[in-house]
Amino acid sequence: MLLKALRLRDFRNIESATLEPHERFNVFTGHNGQGKTNLLEAIYLLGAVKSFRPQTNATLVRFDQKQAVLEAGVDRGGSERIVKIEIHERGKKIFLNNNPVRNLTDFFGTLNVVMFGPEDISLLKGSPGERRRFIDRAIFNAHPAYATEVAGYEDILAQRNALLKAPSLDRTLLSVYDEQLIQAGADLVARRLDFLDHFQPVLERTFGEIFDTSFVAELTYQVRWLDTQPDLESWRADRFEIERALATRLSQTAGEERDRGHTVVGPHRDDLRATLNSLDVREFASQGQHRAFVLAMKIGEITYLEERYHFAPILLLDDVSSELDRERNRFLFDFLRGRDEGQVFITTTHRDYILLDEDLKVFDVDGGEVTERGAVENPVDESAQMISGPMVTGSAPVEDLTPGVPFGDPVSFLGTGALDEDTSEEE
Amino acid sequence: MKTADPITNLINALAKLPGVGERTASRLAFYVLNQPEELAEELAEALVQVKEKIGLCRICCNLTEGDECTICRSDKRDLTKVCVVDSTQDLRAIEQTGEFRGRYHVLHGLISPLEGIGPDDIRVAELLRRLSGDVVDMEPEQIEEVIIATNPSVDGEATALYLNRLLKPAGIKVTRIASGVPVGADLEYIDRMTLSRALLERREL
Repeated sequence: MLLKALRLRDFRNIESATLEPHERFNVFTGHNGQGKTNLLEAIYLLGAVKSFRPQTNATLVRFDQKQAVLEAGVDRGGSERIVKIEIHERGKKIFLNNNPVRNLTDFFGTLNVVMFGPEDISLLKGSPGERRRFIDRAIFNAHPAYATEVAGYEDILAQRNALLKAPSLDRTLLSVYDEQLIQAGADLVARRLDFLDHFQPVLERTFGEIFDTSFVAELTYQVRWLDTQPDLESWRADRFEIERALATRLSQTAGEERDRGHTVVGPHRDDLRATLNSLDVREFASQGQHRAFVLAMKIGEITYLEERYHFAPILLLDDVSSELDRERNRFLFDFLRGRDEGQVFITTTHRDYILLDEDLKVFDVDGGEVTERGAVENPVDESAQMISGPMVTGSAPVEDLTPGVPFGDPVSFLGTGALDEDTSEEE
Repeated sequence: MKTADPITNLINALAKLPGVGERTASRLAFYVLNQPEELAEELAEALVQVKEKIGLCRICCNLTEGDECTICRSDKRDLTKVCVVDSTQDLRAIEQTGEFRGRYHVLHGLISPLEGIGPDDIRVAELLRRLSGDVVDMEPEQIEEVIIATNPSVDGEATALYLNRLLKPAGIKVTRIASGVPVGADLEYIDRMTLSRALLERREL
C-alpha cells in the first residue's frame, strides 16, 4: 500500500501543499506548531475519515475558508485509486476515483494507516477506552467490515440505555434489546479474542527483541462485566458460551442497570491487561519496560497485519523519537529499515533523532508551507501526475449533504470521542 | 418567528423540509415570489388538501383518501396474510414487486427509545386489534400469518422482535423477510453480520 501523491488545500494551517512521497521513508521537520502533525492527520483522515485528535469539522478547515480538500493517489497491489475528502463545517464528503462514496464500508480498506504518537505512550496508563480503541483499530485494519459491527453494537447500546432511562420500563421491549445486545456483543468479543490469539505471539517476540527475551509480554482480555475472569479458551472455542455469559449476567444486573440508567454488561466495558512475566505493567514495570511494551504493541500491530494478511499499512509516527530512550529509538529504526517494504511518515523537531539516511525524502514544514529538501525545480507538475485534472470541488451545495449519511460521525473507535461508557467510573 | 417578514417566514418554513437547507429554501422562496400568483395558490391549496383529505385506512393504517385504502377495499387480496411495514413508501416498494397478494399493516415508525418512540407511538395497538378481530364494523379477518418487513436495521430489528414477542404467544405464525447478500453483490465486501446471517438463513437448492 503506497501513498503516491498527496494534495491538500485549506486544511488546518496549510493553504496548499502538494507532495510526492517516497515509497519508504518521509520525514517532516520543522519547529513546533508549523503543521507537521497536520500532514499526518491529513493522511490519517484519508484512511479513517475521522481524526486521531479531538476536533470538529470546522477546526479542520483553514481559518476563514469554506472547505478543506484532501486528495491522495493510492496504490494498492498495483491498482491505483484516487481518494478525496472534502471537509465542510457541516460534514465530510468522500470520493473514490471521483465518485461520491455512499457507504463507508465500501470505502474503508482503501488506505490503511497505523498511527503512533506521543499520546500512545500512555496507552497502558490511560482509561480502558484507549486500549479498546487500540484493539478495535487493529481489527478494523484487517477487517474493514468490523466498523459496521461496532457501529451496530453501539446503536443497540444507545437504544438500550435510552430505554433504561425511560420513566416506565417496558420489560418486553427491554428483552428485545437484551437479545440484540447479546448477539452483537458476542460478535465483538469473539472478534477481539481471535485477534489477541494471533497477536500474542507477535507481541511476545517483538518485546523480546526490543527489551529482553527473559520477559514474557502478554496482553490478556479483561471481561469487566463479570466478577471473575471467565475461561477465555472455552469462549474462543464456542461463541455460544459468550452469549450464555452475557445473557446470565444481564438477568443478574437487571435491577442495577435500571437504577443506574445504563448498560453495565457488555464488551463496551472490557479492557486489555498488559503483563510482563505475569506482573501487571501498570504497577510493576519500569518506565523503560513500559515504553518498550507500547512500542511492541504498535510494531506488533504492523507485523500482525503483514504476517497474517500480507499487507503493509502506512505507518504514521508523530514525534515519538523524543518520547523513546536512545536504545528503544534505535530499535524502532532498525525495525523500520529491516522491513522489505512499507511506507512511513515521520514528524520530528530534531532531524538527528531520525536514524535514516537512505530511501527517504525530507520535507521542511514552516508556517504551513511544505517544501521538499533538495527537490528539483518545478516539482509540482511531476507530483500531480497521479491526480489528473484540476481539483474538482464544490460539486454540490453544502446544505444538500444527504441527511443520514454518517460521514459526520463515523464509528467512534476510529478516532477520538469514543462512546466511553465507563470513563467516569475509572478506579 | 411570527414577527419576521413574509419572505423570511417562507424561507424558514421551507427549510423545515427534509433535504432542504437554508440556501435551497431561499432559492425556492424567491422563485415562488417571482412566478405568477397561480403557482403560489396551487401550492398552498395542494399542501392544505393533502393534510385535509388524506387520512389513515381504518384497517391497515395505510394513507388513503377514504375510510379504507384501495388495497383493503380490493376483493382480490389474500386475507390470511398481513405484511407489516414501517411506512407507506415501504408498502409501495413491496407492492411493486408484485410478489405479495395479502393485506398490509403500516406502523408509521419504528421503535426507538433514543428518539422517544415506544410501541405506543406507532400503530401496534391497531395491529393487535385486527388480529383479535376487534375492528369496528368489520368482519374479523382470518389472519394466519404476519410477515414482518421492517428494515434490517437496529430499529427495524427491534420492532420485529418486539412484535414477535407479542404475537407468538397468541399462536399466530410470525415470519420475517430474509436478509442477506444483495443481488449482484461481491461477498468480499459484505460485513460479517450480513454474511453470517445469510449463512444462517441459507436454503437448499
